[in-house]
Amino acid sequence: MTAVPAITRPRALTFGNVWLSVGLLAVLLIYPFVFDKAMNFGISTLLFAGFAMSWNILGGWAGQTSLGHAALLGVGAYTMTLLATPERLPAFLQSPLAPWWGALIGMVLAALLAAVWGGLTFRLQGSYFVLSTIAVALVIRLVAINSDWTGGAEGLFMPDLPRLFGLDLFDRQVEYWLAFGFVVLTVLITHLIRRSRMGYALQAVREDEDGARALGIDPTRMKVLAFMLSAALTALGGSLYAIYLQAFEPHTLLELPISVQIALMAIIGGRTTIQGPLIGAVLLSVFGEVFRNVFSSANLLIYGVLILLVTLFAPAGIMGLFQRAGRKLGTAR
Amino acid sequence: MDSTAVTAFFQTLVQGLLTGGLYALIGTGLSLIFGVMRVINFAHGDFLAIGMFITLALFKTFNIDPYLSLLVAAPLGFGLGYVIQRFVLSRLGDRLGEGSMLATLGLGLIISNSLLLSFGAQPQSINVPYAINTFKMGGVQVSIPLLIAGLGTVVAIAGLNLLLYRTELGRAIRATAQNPLGAELQGVKTTRIQAIVFGLGVAFAAIAGVLLMPLLYTFPTVGENYTTKAFIVTVLGGLGNLPGAVVGGLVLGVIESLGAFYVSNNYRDAYGLIAFLLVLLLRPEGLFGKTVKRV
Repeated sequence: MTAVPAITRPRALTFGNVWLSVGLLAVLLIYPFVFDKAMNFGISTLLFAGFAMSWNILGGWAGQTSLGHAALLGVGAYTMTLLATPERLPAFLQSPLAPWWGALIGMVLAALLAAVWGGLTFRLQGSYFVLSTIAVALVIRLVAINSDWTGGAEGLFMPDLPRLFGLDLFDRQVEYWLAFGFVVLTVLITHLIRRSRMGYALQAVREDEDGARALGIDPTRMKVLAFMLSAALTALGGSLYAIYLQAFEPHTLLELPISVQIALMAIIGGRTTIQGPLIGAVLLSVFGEVFRNVFSSANLLIYGVLILLVTLFAPAGIMGLFQRAGRKLGTAR
Repeated sequence: MDSTAVTAFFQTLVQGLLTGGLYALIGTGLSLIFGVMRVINFAHGDFLAIGMFITLALFKTFNIDPYLSLLVAAPLGFGLGYVIQRFVLSRLGDRLGEGSMLATLGLGLIISNSLLLSFGAQPQSINVPYAINTFKMGGVQVSIPLLIAGLGTVVAIAGLNLLLYRTELGRAIRATAQNPLGAELQGVKTTRIQAIVFGLGVAFAAIAGVLLMPLLYTFPTVGENYTTKAFIVTVLGGLGNLPGAVVGGLVLGVIESLGAFYVSNNYRDAYGLIAFLLVLLLRPEGLFGKTVKRV
């Protein structure tokens, strides 16, 4: 169904891949020291890179396109913030836990939501699943807008958080490294999945569901697992995003464009590779920032143009182009 | 029930049916495209937005009556759809399923953001004197523009049926939907037919946009909401099932209207979504279809 290469075996690291990863890592490590005036850009880029990597566990490895990930991000953001403002919650839900437990609880809630949602919808083939993700996310958005405990359309404020290991969570430097840690975690988990039995099973399901079933793989179970993992990581990023934003409203946090942005970053970068979503996120963030001055609020225009170009000319994304160029160089030598 | 409650019920029902007619028009375009090409058009609502903005621009600059904009919006929508299918979607080849989803998603972003650049983010509306007029029938009030929209929908869908079942082109379209290869062997130029079908689908969305404009205000991302409505309508009726799309549209309009009146107006958009999810889970072939039916 998807334009993807057949099942990939983890190859020995090629020169190009190492160069790319080391270069990217170096840029991310020196960024807060060189660009300390543009920390907001750095943090949001890293968070979206993490969202795109998390999305990719479901969208890339399991081949199930979700356009509803904003809902999972929202679960993380709302749980974190609500746990930090217990007066908003009914008495039986108030807990003496430190607020950052909200990040973990949000992850569990998101995973549960994904289990139910995936369990019900993964029997549907192709387009039906995509449509269901939009619908579920829209229903959650409507609930957030119309309920009192979520702060309704005005959304929520993050109150003062106690220091975590002596670190001020509202310091941009601290937030940068938290976001960095989030990206490293998603990269590690993606890497582990890819090398595990589950990774092979997922790719088998993606390429040929009936064939996978014949091998004794339960496709629905595999997809639900991938969805739960993807959801939990997205919710973790969502709670970091809430700390970074300090105040958010459902109209910006839970809208379809956020879901689309996350999906497009992974797809444009290359959904069957590990670095793809990261590169897609960095590239689209930079493009978005550059064009923000030209197009003001119409900066998603560039997303539209890029996704059209990638769909037509580079179905395996930007990483796919790199890999093709690399193979050409290889055969030339 | 006393008589005021009965009147209120019928009022809500009529309102729902007329709005549902418009949803049917939007859904028919989407369903037609899906039925012939198996393409889900994620830019459908944005094509509707184009229709709205054409009406708005013609009214603001030349003071042209909104309904006359149909003469511009429908052919323009057809041409736009034709070109998009011919020069973008047809190039996707065997990647059509997933590829067309992404390509139309991209097209939608390009359209909505271009509208944002040209018209600004402010919601805008047009004031025509007859827009607030109502028409009374047995205690039930119907707004004139809503009635015109309902009639427009009936005419457009009847026209489409005549085209599909009474003309040579319609035969070619139905043949392409049933078996593109077989149709090609019979001398049908399927690439051309597919471009015409996409053009028709977009034209239907643009017509719906024109008919909606006197009723509502518009803004560049208005399409997003209508893309979702179109999905709901087509899934309720069964993907690719044209009579299903009409019934699906009416059902959606009535569910929304009754839900808003009797439960809560805040969740107006949720009733359709919940119905949509239930149908997806319980009857993915649609409320009325046996299996996924061809055009």
